[in-house]
Order: sequence, then C-alpha cells, then structure tokens
Amino acid sequence: MAHLSAPTGASLEGRIRLLAVLVLLIFGGFVVRLFHLQVVEGEALRQRSQKNSIRHVELDAPRGEVLDREGRVLATWRSSRALRVIPNDLADRARTFAALGQLLGASGAELDAMAGPSKGLARFRPVTLVEDLDWERLARVESHGYALPGVETFEQPRRFYPAGPLAAHLLGTLGEIQAVQLQRAEYATYHQGEVIGQTGLEARFETHLRGSSGRRDVVVDAAGREIEELHEQPPELGGRVVLALDRDLQEEAEAGFRDVPEGEPRRMGAAVAIDVRSGDVLAMTAFPSYDPNVFTSRIDHDTWRALTGDEWKPLRNRAIQNHYPPGSTHKPVMAAAALEEGVIDRNTRVYCPGYYYFGGRRFGCWKKEGHGSVNVVQALQRSCDVFFYTVGVQLGIDRIAKHVSSFGLGSRTGIDLPGEVTGIVPSSEWKLRRFKEKWYPGETVSAAIGQSYNLYTPLQLAVAYAAIANGGRVVKPRLVLRLEDRDGRATEEYAPEVRGASSVSDANLAIVREGMTAVVEVPGGTGMRAKVPGVRVAGKTGTVQVVSLDRVRGLKELEIPIRFRDHAWFGAFAPAENPEIAVAVFVEHGLHGASAAAPIAQRIMARYFQKRGLSPPPAAKPEPRVAPARVQQASASPAPPATPPLAAVANP
Amino acid sequence: MIAIDRRSFQHFDWLLLALMLAILAIGFVNLFSTTQPLPPPQIGVASEFKTQLAALGLGLAGMVVAIAIDYRRLERGAPFFYVLVLASLALTVVFGIEIRGNKSFLKLGPFSLQPAEFAKLGLVVMMARHFHRHPPTEVRRLIDLIVPALLLALPVALIIAQRDTGVAVLTLLIGATFFLFVALPWRTWAILGVIAVAGAVGAWEVGLKPYQRARVLSFVQAGSGDSHGSDYQAIQSRIAVGSGGLTGQGWLQGPQNRGQFLPTQHSDFAFSVVAEEWGFAGGASALVLYAGLLLWGLAIAANSKDGFGGMLAVGVVSMLFWPAVINVAMVLGLAPVIGVPLPLISYGGSQLLANLVALGLLMNVSMRRYMF
Repeated sequence: MAHLSAPTGASLEGRIRLLAVLVLLIFGGFVVRLFHLQVVEGEALRQRSQKNSIRHVELDAPRGEVLDREGRVLATWRSSRALRVIPNDLADRARTFAALGQLLGASGAELDAMAGPSKGLARFRPVTLVEDLDWERLARVESHGYALPGVETFEQPRRFYPAGPLAAHLLGTLGEIQAVQLQRAEYATYHQGEVIGQTGLEARFETHLRGSSGRRDVVVDAAGREIEELHEQPPELGGRVVLALDRDLQEEAEAGFRDVPEGEPRRMGAAVAIDVRSGDVLAMTAFPSYDPNVFTSRIDHDTWRALTGDEWKPLRNRAIQNHYPPGSTHKPVMAAAALEEGVIDRNTRVYCPGYYYFGGRRFGCWKKEGHGSVNVVQALQRSCDVFFYTVGVQLGIDRIAKHVSSFGLGSRTGIDLPGEVTGIVPSSEWKLRRFKEKWYPGETVSAAIGQSYNLYTPLQLAVAYAAIANGGRVVKPRLVLRLEDRDGRATEEYAPEVRGASSVSDANLAIVREGMTAVVEVPGGTGMRAKVPGVRVAGKTGTVQVVSLDRVRGLKELEIPIRFRDHAWFGAFAPAENPEIAVAVFVEHGLHGASAAAPIAQRIMARYFQKRGLSPPPAAKPEPRVAPARVQQASASPAPPATPPLAAVANP
Repeated sequence: MIAIDRRSFQHFDWLLLALMLAILAIGFVNLFSTTQPLPPPQIGVASEFKTQLAALGLGLAGMVVAIAIDYRRLERGAPFFYVLVLASLALTVVFGIEIRGNKSFLKLGPFSLQPAEFAKLGLVVMMARHFHRHPPTEVRRLIDLIVPALLLALPVALIIAQRDTGVAVLTLLIGATFFLFVALPWRTWAILGVIAVAGAVGAWEVGLKPYQRARVLSFVQAGSGDSHGSDYQAIQSRIAVGSGGLTGQGWLQGPQNRGQFLPTQHSDFAFSVVAEEWGFAGGASALVLYAGLLLWGLAIAANSKDGFGGMLAVGVVSMLFWPAVINVAMVLGLAPVIGVPLPLISYGGSQLLANLVALGLLMNVSMRRYMF
C-alpha cells in the first residue's frame, strides 16, 4: 500500500492547502460583497427595484391586411390610443380615480376596481382601463397628464374592416385568447390577454396575420413618466392574405340579400360564386351578418348578447357551417346518375299525370295537373317530380348515393376556413349505421327529389354544379390565392386543386347541361329570372318544404310564420356552352327558388359578365336600393326577425 | 467491478452528500421561482422545472454508477472516455443545432445534450490519469507539459469551433488547474505567464465577438455606464441582489425576478434571484455551503491515498470552482457578464447531469480512502 501513496508528495498537499486558502478568500470576499450590496447599499437598491427606473413596454403589432383578388382592402388596421394605469405609480389613488372618472365621463369607483390592488406584485403590472379612446376624451386626459402620475395613454394598433359587414363570415372574428388555447403548442408564443383570430380567416391564418410585437426599454421617473428611451424595437406588421374573392361580386351578392322589397322580412341564407375552372371563390356571403369591427375592441355586453342570443345565429357562416335539404336542385345530379347507369337516355320519356304511386302511397308532382310526357331535358326544365320519382326508384338508393357523392356532395370541400360541416348523402349502409334501421324503398322516392335525409352546404352545391359545368372535375374551392409578407412579396402560392372526378361521363353531363340551360333560357323553364343579357345561363331552382303542408294549409304565403316557410334554392353556371362561373344561392325560408333565390344569382352573374365585357352594363333603369337603415339590420340588431305573431295570422 | 463492499459503505461520505443535497435544494426551490410561467400573482409549474427534475433523476442514477465503480478501473478506461468526448464534440461541430449563435447542442430524439458539459468530465479523468502516471512533482521541464497541454487543447479547440466561448474558457481553466501542481522552476513559470498574456491578447483580437468585447469594456469602465446595452444586465442584477436586503423579498415575490427585469434569470442569473428573494441570509448561506463543498472536496483530494484519486478529486473541485467563482462574481458585479451557469443551482440539464456524475466520482474517492 505504501508504494501507492508515494506520488502524493508533501508538495502536492501543500498546493492543495494553497487552493483551500484561495477558496476561502474568494468566497469570503463574496460574502463581504454580498453584505455590502444587500445591507449597506440595500435600502437604496431596494427603492430602485420598487420603482425600477427601467421599464419594458410591449408594443402591439398591427395585424396584416386581407385583400381581394384585385388588391382591394377587406381588412387592415388603424391607429388608436388606449389608457392604462400602473397601480404602483399612483400618487393618490382615490383622487386619481375621481379625476379620471370626471375626465372620461365614467365612474371613478368602477375604474378603481378595474385597476386592481396596489399591494403585492400585481401592482407593477399595467392595467388597460379604456381602449380606443375618442379624440375628445384623449385630449382631456393628455392635458391633465401631469397631475395624474401612474396614468398613461399609449398607441394600440387596431384591426379595421373598412367595408364594415362585407364578407364578415369569411374574415371572421377576433377575441381574447382563451386559457385552453394558451395551452396549445401553436400558441406557445402568445400571452394572456392577447387578441387573436377566433373564427374565419382571422383564425385560419392567425400566425401569418399576427405580426411581431416590438419592445421599448425606457427610463421613467418615480411618477412613471418617461425620461429617456434606451432601446426601441419597433413592432412589425403581420403578413398579408390575398383572396380569390372579387369584391364587386361580393358586394352584389350581399346587396342581393339586403335589398328586400318593402313589407318582406329580412332575407337569410347564403350565396357562393366560384370559378368552375380554378375553384376560385369569387363571392361567399351569409345572412344575417354582422359587423366584424365590433370585435376589434372590448365588445360590450349588449352587442355580444344580441349577436350570440339571436335565434337566427348571425355569426354562423351559412355557406359552409349549415347544411340544408337540396330540394329540386338535386335533380341535375339525379339525371346524371340515371343517364350514366343507363336507366334512361336522352329520349326516354315518362308520363306525368301529376302524381306517382309507390307501395300504395301517393306522391304528388308540384304541378297538380301533371306535365304529360317528358324526357330528361324537359323534366329538368319544368322540374317534373314524377319523372325523377320514376328514375329514382329504378336506380335504387345505393346507386344514387354512389354517383351523387362523386360530385363532392356530402363531404367537406376542403375550403381554407374553419368549421366546415360535412353534409349527408344517404345510402342504405348510412341509414343502418346512423339509425340501425334498413332502408325502405319508399324512402327512395322522396330522396329522388332531394326531400329525404340529404343535406348539402351551399358551397357543396356550387362545387357540384361547377363539376357538371366543367366536365366532371370536382374542384377544391380556392379562397386564398397567396400569402405575402408585409412588403407584398409572395411567400406561399395556393395552386388550384382538383379533389376528384365525377363518375358521370362528359357526354351524359352535356345532356344535363342542356336541361339546365332550358330551365333559364327556354320559355316555360322555372328559372327564367336568372337570365343575363348577352350570356346563356344554365341553372336549377329548388324549393324545400320545411313543415308538412297541413301546418300551413289555407294560409297565404306571406301569412305563414317565417320558420314554417319553404326554403328557396337556385344553382347555376354560365355561359352555358363554355362555363366560367358557378353560383349557388340559398334563401332560408325564402318561399320559392324561382322568385327569392334566382334573382340574387342573376345579379352576381350579371356583374361578373359585365366585368368580363360579355354582358352590357346595367341600363339606365336603376335598381331601387333600400335605405341604408336596413343595411345595419344584421350587425347588432337584437330585434328578432319580423315574425308575425301567430294570433295575427288568422286575419284574412 | 461493482464494489460497494461493507467497508466502503462504512466510509460513506455523509457530509459530502449533505452539502450537495442542500445546494441542490436551494437550486430547485429557486428554479421554481425563476421559471414561473404565469405573470404574478398567479403561480404555476414551468416545463423547464419539470425538465430539470428529470435531469436530476438521471443525474442521481449516474451518480450511483459513478460511486459504484472502482475508480482505478476508470483510470484504465480514461483514454476511451476521452476519445468518446472528443468524438461527441466533433459531432456537435458538424451536426449540432444552433441556439443563439452557439452551435453547442446535439439533438438526440426528444433530448438535446450539450456535449461540452461532459467534455469537462472526460478531460478531468484523462488529466488525472496523465498526472497519475507522470506525477506532477516530477515534472520539471517545460517539455514535460507538451502532452497534457495537447490533451487540454484538443477539446478546447473543438468547443471554440462551436462558438461557445464561455464554456471554452471554463474548460481551459479547469484543465489548467492541474498545471498548478507541477514542480517547474519559477523561470519557466515566468515564460508560461508571458505566453498566457500573449494568448489573452490574441483571444481578445480574434476570439471574442464584438458584444463580448463590449461587455468586458463596459465592466472595465463601470460607473460611467448607465443602463444602456451590455451594462443593462449587470445593473439589473445589482438591483436584484441589493433589493434583497437582510432577509429578502420572499420566495416568488422578487419584483426583479417576477417582473422579468433580469434576462436569463433561471440560468446565468439564478443566484441574483436567490439573493433577491432570500436576502443576505439566504445568499450568504448558499455561498457558505458552496465553499464548504469545495473545501471538503480539497480535503478528500489531500486524504486520497493514491495519485489518481487525488488528481481526480482536484479535477472535480475545479469543475465546480471555476464556474461558481465566475458566475457569482458576475452576479455581484465583480466580473463582466459571461454566460456561465452556477453549477447545481442554474437551469441546465447537461450541466446538472455532468456535475452529479463528477460528485459521484468525488464520493467514490472519498469512500475508498482507507482501501488502498
């Protein structure tokens, strides 16, 4: 053992002892220094920490712009000033809030309560009391600033939608980030109280639009007033989103809903226009609507209640978030299925006496006296129910479902917006899964005219009609053309996408197109009100019964309570021979597709072809526009729709 | 090989364990406060805190292994570890991920490791082996220093290549500690001194980034500086320490900490928060515990019965000593701001893991002092 200890000579131990002395000296020195800083200079430094003379100020970044396809601004930002207090810096709390209350025309006690405690750590945190100060109140506060230590106003960029409710459902809403959202990885860089996109494009492109906040380090005096700026990193504007939307068509679609003849209730529903070649969403609107500007600052309680409590749900984007029975707009895809399966051809005729018997039950045609002998083109033109009852029964529900689904109906279109619903295409397998019940052949009869379990969104119908128009390509609706950085350089391009192909050949689709053209262009068609000068239009009307006829028997149309009135549809594409645009319009409880929905589709298409130079500009005959008072109807009106009370209906 | 026999267990170093656990406790209590994810007055558990707890578990396991092996086997295996360390450093230079300009992290699945932390340990073991085989008391010529100098230069060069200047300087200091034991004549020391000064000037000119030079300059010109730029952190740290007073602002109550005035308060400025929230009482206790740990480590080195154990113990002590001195001096405004964490107290998983293994080796040497 002794030989092992040999290398550890005396000098080694000596050096270790030297090191130990060094450690003692250094750490001893540290303790002395600590004592000096904490106890000798402590009081002075403690005061500095309490009123830490250096303050970090977070600078909010403005959100990026949203532009239409021609570069017109749909969403941008504006400058605003807000007022905040730092409880720790308030000289005389009671007096400050009394004065503030007077200057702002608010209750001092309420402001005091909002500001939080002047004890504990929270006292260092600035509390924003008033957002978006108007100039008058701002001037009053600024001129008294010297007497109000701890109170300051600051720049707060604010989201601004210059066109008010235009395209509201696409743009979406903003709102304070919620606790559950803060937990998610995508919001890792967000902080409590931050305002983020909660619905629509604002939510879908939140991280792109957000921008990056800046920061200032400033020296402030004991009253919290800025003395010197040490460092400023300016906030940076968020990126841009360029839409495929055409603001002109969007305005036309919304005007179509808003301009209601005197005496009729407000129109509800949705309209969608897409380019059948690229899938570009040229217009998409839903009614009732709202003004997204109300969500850009703290929304007041009444407005919030009016929007969320409205039984007609103005915040809902009916074009993709609601689905509806298609009614007769289902007939073109039915015709395509029957042609493809060989159940009928261009010339097969069916005799319509005005009714159809199946399994001992009578199914009426909407035209009681009957259409006589009709082929598929005439059946589409006049919307003959009996023709489609007959071919539907021959096809059977599962063959119907197969072809109908191939047009993209009953599945999400994949549009770049959150919250899209699926819709339903019923089949025997679907019914077994959903209701644990087999499919009865009798149900096929009503399914054939779109009055069964079928539910489609207006956007789905537009996509399906676009597929009929473009030879069977089911396009993915393209809402966003590209993302750009704040300087307008493209960072991401969205190419047109095709989701699939319909199972029906173009030769058979051509027959369907012929029938749909007859709907609008041949006298006797149900969609004559969709005619556009200079262009041939193809379309199909639809009327969806909401309650059984017994409930409304004997009532005149405008006496029926709104919730019991039929839904109105109109789907169309044009030009019929070389289609460019497809439109779907749904008017909830609008009574008739031909009268309520077709004129709206007509306006959108007319505007499109005027811009293309294919249709003459509107003649001197000006469309009567309804006074702007009605324009505001949707944004905040807490009044329920003008539903006549049931008692009044009894009047003749 | 796994040889915790009864005898070594009887000699288990409870004092060392107690000192270490006390410092770790301070570290974790403080980390909980410095990593608060929520603005005051709310509190919550941060993900960094959980990560560090996981590193603690891993580190204690590594420590048990380091205690269990016979350290003479470690002497034989030292070159293997050394090469492993060099390889991982080289890998980091090539494949490392870049964090704030430093390319010093290696991503292994969900973990990111900082191989430079383990390099210090590998270097210490290798240097201990070298000076065990060539006892420092017999080193009398400068030429005898070439081999250990190379052993030291290799990892340091690789760490410099990762642009991690702070850790490079630390590694250099830790390795250089071994040279204090050589029996060179004073003239040779003088020559070495001249070389060191020349090296420092060279490093200043080419090795330091502009912001690092600014930090040193701002420190040298201290007093003249206000709260601008590089001086900002130093001033905020001083305010934090000073405002702690005799008994502190209270746990989770430090305005400098919770107000996020201190940058990296959970890593480099962790001790500022100890001082802010626990005052002179807490800060001085931490320093006393630290000094106690280092002194006890030196005592273990002196009592070791063989050259390798002694050198190993010295190396472990220097692994803790240098970063602790640099960090505390920085926090107390006695040294420029350098990104060096305080061992066992600052946030950093690799650092904790490496230091716990190192303490395990120290414990190992201590337990076997009666065996040989």
